Parts: sequence; structure tokens; C-alpha cells
Amino acid sequence: MSDFIERSKFSCALGGAITTITAISKAIPIVHASGGCAAALSNTYNLSSGYRGTGYCGGNMIPTSNITQSHIVFGGEEKLAGQIESTIRYIKGDLYIVVTGCQTELIGDDAVGVALKYRENNVIGVSTPGFKGNTLRGYDEVLCTLIKEVVEKTDEKEEKKINLIGIVPGHDVFFKGNIEHLTDLLKRIGIRANTFFGDGESIEKIKTYGRAKLTVVLSETAGQLAAKAFENVHKIPYITTDLPIGPKATEKFLKLIGEALGIENKIIDRVVKDEKKYFYSYLERIVDAASDLDFQRYAVIVADSYYAYPLTEFVSEELGWIPYFVAVNDIEDDKLQEEYKNKFDRLTSYTKPEILFENKSGIIEKKLDLIFKEQTGSKYHDRPEPMFIIGSVVERVLAKKYGAGFLSVAFPVSNRVVLNKGYAGFRGALTLTEDLLSELVSAR
Amino acid sequence: MANALTEDLKYDYLSVDEPPVRDERIGGCTAYFGCCSGLKDDFRKGCAQALNRKFSQSGGCQLMLAMGIINTISNIVTIIHSPLGCCSNLAGMAGVRNISRASRGLKTENQTFIHTNLDELDVVNGGIEKLRRAILYADKEYQPEVIAIMNGCVPGVIGDDVDGLVRELQPKVSARLVPVHCEGFKSRFVSSGYDAANHGILKYLIREPKDTDESGTETEYESKERISKTVNIFNVGSNSHKDELELSRLIKKLGLIPRVVPLHASVYDLDRLGEAALNVSICATHDDYLLGHLKERYGTEYVLDVLPIGINCTNRWLRKIAGHFHLEKEVEELIEEETKELIKAIEPFVKVLKGKRAFVGGGETRILTTADFYRSIGMEIVGIKSHNLDRFVQYLLDEIDNPHLPVEVAAGQPAEELNLLKRLKPDIYIGHIGANGWVTKLGIPNIPLFGTTINYMGYSGAYELPRRAARALKNTNFSKNISENTELPLSDEWMKTDPKKNIVRGALF
Repeated sequence: MSDFIERSKFSCALGGAITTITAISKAIPIVHASGGCAAALSNTYNLSSGYRGTGYCGGNMIPTSNITQSHIVFGGEEKLAGQIESTIRYIKGDLYIVVTGCQTELIGDDAVGVALKYRENNVIGVSTPGFKGNTLRGYDEVLCTLIKEVVEKTDEKEEKKINLIGIVPGHDVFFKGNIEHLTDLLKRIGIRANTFFGDGESIEKIKTYGRAKLTVVLSETAGQLAAKAFENVHKIPYITTDLPIGPKATEKFLKLIGEALGIENKIIDRVVKDEKKYFYSYLERIVDAASDLDFQRYAVIVADSYYAYPLTEFVSEELGWIPYFVAVNDIEDDKLQEEYKNKFDRLTSYTKPEILFENKSGIIEKKLDLIFKEQTGSKYHDRPEPMFIIGSVVERVLAKKYGAGFLSVAFPVSNRVVLNKGYAGFRGALTLTEDLLSELVSAR
Repeated sequence: MANALTEDLKYDYLSVDEPPVRDERIGGCTAYFGCCSGLKDDFRKGCAQALNRKFSQSGGCQLMLAMGIINTISNIVTIIHSPLGCCSNLAGMAGVRNISRASRGLKTENQTFIHTNLDELDVVNGGIEKLRRAILYADKEYQPEVIAIMNGCVPGVIGDDVDGLVRELQPKVSARLVPVHCEGFKSRFVSSGYDAANHGILKYLIREPKDTDESGTETEYESKERISKTVNIFNVGSNSHKDELELSRLIKKLGLIPRVVPLHASVYDLDRLGEAALNVSICATHDDYLLGHLKERYGTEYVLDVLPIGINCTNRWLRKIAGHFHLEKEVEELIEEETKELIKAIEPFVKVLKGKRAFVGGGETRILTTADFYRSIGMEIVGIKSHNLDRFVQYLLDEIDNPHLPVEVAAGQPAEELNLLKRLKPDIYIGHIGANGWVTKLGIPNIPLFGTTINYMGYSGAYELPRRAARALKNTNFSKNISENTELPLSDEWMKTDPKKNIVRGALF
């Protein structure tokens, strides 16, 4: 049973559905719920996701059935049907996706059934009431429906084509940049990646995703249901790995996918060699400052599982920082927690981080307070200073409290504007290094 | 005269857990498209109130507006009793509350909010146990003065007895527990959220003050003297601290003592809401419920009239207040002094703006007063859009002398508004958040109707209004570039349709 959450870093399933749909080119959400849900949830991502904005048809542009008291009594299916009919006339879209809120699901409206009647008008329906789960659940529900209803079935597979999922638009504030970095890299080893949300993707292209040979999921908590749907419906196997940040992680990532698709090692090695050379030719620039000013930091990471390990791995394995403490905000299942924790054994730093699975910000703060407090009272104390906190904007106050450096990477990020920036791969890792170290020199 | 807008309204709802929603208490119009004279007639006859729309887009939720009030109270923990989506926008407002507090010289506080995170199991079993744990956790961990419980749609539909739990737990916790019933589906007027929050404050939060003043050194005479001159100015989420300073300055010039409540107030201040000679609203849509109730509770007279925006409305607002204290002579002197200086100061902007065509969209009182000001300095108002329309602005509508002025009533609904704007092609648009982005994509330069750091009220605000508008017209490249390179999702069929055809009679609300 789930517990209450303090300072949640997630919205609900409907929020996840809306942020997902509005990230697909010319896909239009039709929200069957009370009037406020669509704009409010869309707005969560417009602002908290590095000012991603409403986009083509988000925010208060989202068609909504505007359910009120009387529909709760008499049912809202008729209202929804009318709303679908007017939306397909008045809003230009390649696909219309009916998604549902708590109110209409509680009263038993069959919104998916109503949507089905308009299938020839490119309308599909997904059940996404807020109480079904968080953002990630909404993402998976939408993708599963696309995979079942829109992706065309075919026995023909393309040997070097993959579906790359688990990067949740909006929830990963850097989703666009990350997708771009990874697809560019994969292209260089001969692999084409379907991404749903990357530049150049479209509903027409999504229809062909059934031709992929493999699905790669970059998250344990998002995209797993979608990967299973690809497997069940389109017979595409899947593997799960981490978002690669930095040379070492990216090399592993490319080898893993390359091996699964039978790409020759020497092709991958050549790309890795070139990119590594490029990476270090730039990283070299900060060597003097990093050494003279002693940039090594105790790293505290507070993020959801999608970012927590990859960020820890990057600062530990590439920058040589001390991975000190990691709070993971989204895994509740004991077994999954254990598996996730095991990843950190791979770190080569002599200090291994303490891992806490927690979604109450107050408890995380208490824990960090304790780490600091243990050291007070004595003349000499070996506190984890200088500290750097990588988290979301929520952790900004902690950084201030402990005098730590700070960068918001995980959702929510409302203190930065993010356009096409990404942190994945070799080049993304350079950008991340820029952002981290800029913090350390910003007052100079 | 002061109470004309609230004539025959009742404010004795404290015996019930939930206040009536605006649909029942006030009524009003949420959908209209036509000309000003038509709207006036239809509203008077009651026809405008019965209209609905076919194609609809997302508007607002009363929960957000209730939260907008509750979340500003000092030393508070808010519990959102709902799934995670409700109020999830708070995620990205980590610093906003503290920006507001810091601007007012208040101690910054971490924003603490808890979601009960209702899931499928809770829908079946009820969410009360989770709420109980959350309340006890908040009380133990943070010892706040107030714990507010914001009730979302799910507990509203499944029937969680939040008030019962509050009555049970109140003796066991140190914080004052304030349940707020603001389920989105219950009202088509988001302003119901104001009443819901104010009801919570009035019924559960405020208590009899122990001392009359903080130091305890004030004599009874001094206290009576202070109260007899105190004017409570009721602030709203859309005004800035600069607005509050300006309005306070004017009140002080009349020899009165201004006190700004209830937003950003402490429990100490709220307990003393009754210690005033006059309660003054700056926006009738926001707080008639609060002022009407305080009159019944403490006998405090109130001014609920116009939003002090622009020269005419600020003058009018001040005259109403001065009238209560028989300061007619003093207020005329003040007005003369202030307006003389102001009119000279805005001359260069007036020169630029004269004859320019403007469209104003947003909340009813704000747009009508803002439009009135721009019209008064020689701009042409080519259309207005109001989120809703009710009795509180009927007189402002009556004062519009252009019977053909295009008027839209809609919360959100950018499709209708953009359709109208494309026909009208104003030189500048002044609008509510959520609308301006679309207007930029249409290529029309715009400025926000309000902002938490922008001063638009009082005389200093009447300087800022034309100054900002004139600045926006100095370089219009941004909206031009954006409109040339982005696409709106509205079909040609829609843009050719008269939005009036989208408004229907007799549909279910």
C-alpha cells in the first residue's frame, strides 16, 4: 500500500499522459475530466520542466469535456462524444488521444469505448485517472495504447532498428537533448532509433515501430509496461539499461546494444575512440582550475531512479568525486530497491554511497542533518565538505543550508531554462560538466 | 451604497462544513460571445447565465485558487488530499512563495506540502487513514501553526469524512486544522475556490485573540483609537507587494492605519481580522464572502466596490473609503495632488498610445477597470474577454458606452479568443497568464494583465500601465518572429467559424 508523499516530484497518471502526448508531433490530447485538470497538469510541465512551454496543443488549448456536478450524477459520455466530434473538426492533429481524469473514471464512464467509435477519425482512448499512479504510469499507459492501437503489426524486422524508451518527456527535463545525443551516437554505429518524441518523429513513423528488432528501456520505473507491450504485440524483445552519461557509461551502452544487434566491435570501438578523444580534448580545459582550486566534491544525489544512478556514476567514475549519499525518490518495491542498490557496487570509488529510498523530502533532510550533526561539538570534524548536491529544484534549500554547490537536473527544474540541452552520451556529459563546474566558479 | 453589490446576499454559512459554491450563491455567466449591449440585456434577463459551449478547452480548477490563498499563510503545512496530480504545479514553484515573502520583508520558509497520494486501493477503502497519518506526521515533524487539508475530487466523490477526522484529531495536535472543500468538479466558477479557502479560514482558523496587541503595553483607550482608524485592505493573489505599498500609502495619507490581509498573513494577524473600523476589498470577485462574513461576525462595515486600477477607479475607491470616515475634503485634496502629478508624468506614454487599439482579457473586475483606464488615456478598446461575469461587475459593464464592443465570456478557451483576435487585429493585447503565449504566436504584442512583481494599482500603478504598454510597442520583433515560425493548432474551419455558433443554450453544466 502506498503512503503519503512529501513534496512530490511526480504528478498523476493523467499528468504523465498529457506531458507524453503533447511531446508527440501533432498528437492532440482530449481530456475527459473536470475543466481544470488539463491546463493545470500541463502547466506543471510547462513551468517545472525547464520552461518547456505549452507547445503545439498544451495548456489551456487542450480540448476538455469540462465535467461538472451534473455529469457526476448523469454521466459524461455524451459530453465526451460531442467534444471528440468538435475537436477533430477544429483542432489540426494527426492523432487524437482521449485520456481520462479521476471524476469520470469514478462514475464509470467508458471513455475508451466512446473513443473507439471514432477510430476512423484517428481517435484512440486511454484510461489514465490520477489515482491509477504517477507520471510514469501515465507515460506507460499512453505508450502501451499507441503500441497496441497505432503501431502496425509486421513480421518484417529491420536488423539495425531499435525502439528507445524510458525517457519520459517533461519528467526528464532534458528529454529532447538526451534523445538527440543518443540517436546521433547510435546512428554512427549504424543503428536507427525510434524514440516517439525526438525531432523528425511523427505519427506516420510511429506506425512503423513494429519493424524494430529490439526495445531498449532506459528506466526501471518507466517504459517497462510499454516494452512488454512491444514484446507481446509485436514480438520485439527488450533490454533495460541506464541512461548513459560520460565516456565509460556510453561505451557500455553502445556495446550492450551493439552486441544485441550483432554490430561489429571495431565499428563501436572507432566511434568510442573518436568521441573519447573529443571529450577529453575539452575536459582538459578545466584541468588547471580543477586541480588548483580543488574541485573534488562530496556528491549528494537526490533524484528519481532514472537519474540517480547515472548521475552518481558520472561524478564518481568520470569526475572522480566522492559518491557520498544518494536518495532515490521513486522505487517502493523491496525487490526492485535491492536490485537498484546493487548497481552502486560497480562504482570504483573507494567510498560507496549510502542509499536511501525515500519520497518524503523531510525525511531526506533529517537524514542529511544527522550526517552534519554527528560532526558538531568536536574541534575537528570530518564532514562531507565541500559538498555538491545534484537533485531537483526542491533540494536547492538543502544546498543553501549546508553551503553546498547545487545543480538541478531531475524534475522539477524551475530555476533554469532548458531548450535543446542534454546530458546523455559523450557530448552531453561535457555539457553537464560545464553546468556543474560553472556553479563552482559563478561567484568569481 | 457601499454594500450595493452584496445587497440581499447572506453570509451565515459557518454552521455548515462546506460553503455553497458560487453557482448557487452568486450565479453568473461562463459562456458568451457577442456585443456589449447584447450581453447587458441577456445578463439582465438571466439568459446569459444559462449559456454553455460546445467545443470546450481547459479552464481552471477551484482547488488551485483556494491553494493560492491558503498557501500564503505563514507557518503552514498544506496537505493535498488527492492523487499526485492536484497542485502538482507546486513542484515548480519552489521559490515563488519565498519571493513573495521576501518582497514583503517576511521570513522565508520552506514550502512544505504533502500529498496523500490516493491510489486505486484508497478509492475502494477510503483515504481517511492516510490523511490521518499525514496530519500526524506534519504536526510532529514541523509543528506548524496551521495544517490545511485541501480536498480534491477523489475524496469528494468517494465521500471521505474529512471534517469528522478534523474534529477527532484537533484535540490531539498542536496545529490548527483547516479543511478546505474545493473539489474541482463541484463548481464551474473557479472563484468558488476563494470562498472555500475563506470558509476554512473563518470557520476553523481564526480564534478569539488573547491580547489586543503584541507587546501588551497598549491601553484600552489606545487600542480603541487604533482600531477606529484601522483599515483592512484585502489583498489578492494577483496583486504585488508594490500594489500593497501604494494602496497603504494612500490610506496613510488620509490619516488612517492600513493593514494588509489575508494573504501572507500570520495566524496572529488573522485572529485580529476583527480589529478594524473598515474592511476594504480591492476585488469584489475575490472576497465578498470574507467581508460579508466579517460584517456579520464583528459588525465591521466594508467597502466592496471597484478595483483601484487607473485614475478613475483609484479615485472612486479612495472616495468610498474616505466617505466612511467623513474625510471627503481630505480625499479630494489627495486626489487632486496625486492626479496632477500623474497626468503630467504619463504624457509621453499617452502620446505613443493615443489611438492604439487594445484588447483586454482576464478576470472580470481587473479587465473592466484596466480597459477603462486605457480608454481614458485615448486608446481604443476593440474588445474584451472576461473569465466569467456576475453581479459584481454589472455596473462596470453598464458604464461601457460602446454598445457594439465585442465581448467574450470564457475561462481559458483560447480557440474562441484567438478567432476573435485574428479578426480584430489589435495593436496590443493585455491578458491573463495562460493566454499571452497564444497571442504571441498570433503575432500580437502583449503585456500581462497582472504580475506578482508588477505594480498596476493606485496612482503609481496608473503610471506603470501606460509605461509598460508603450515599452511593448517599442520593439515588436519577438511576437513577429514567433508568429512567422510557429503554428497554431486551430483549423481553418474553426478560424472561419463565428465563435458565437459555439455557444449553446440548455446544455448540462
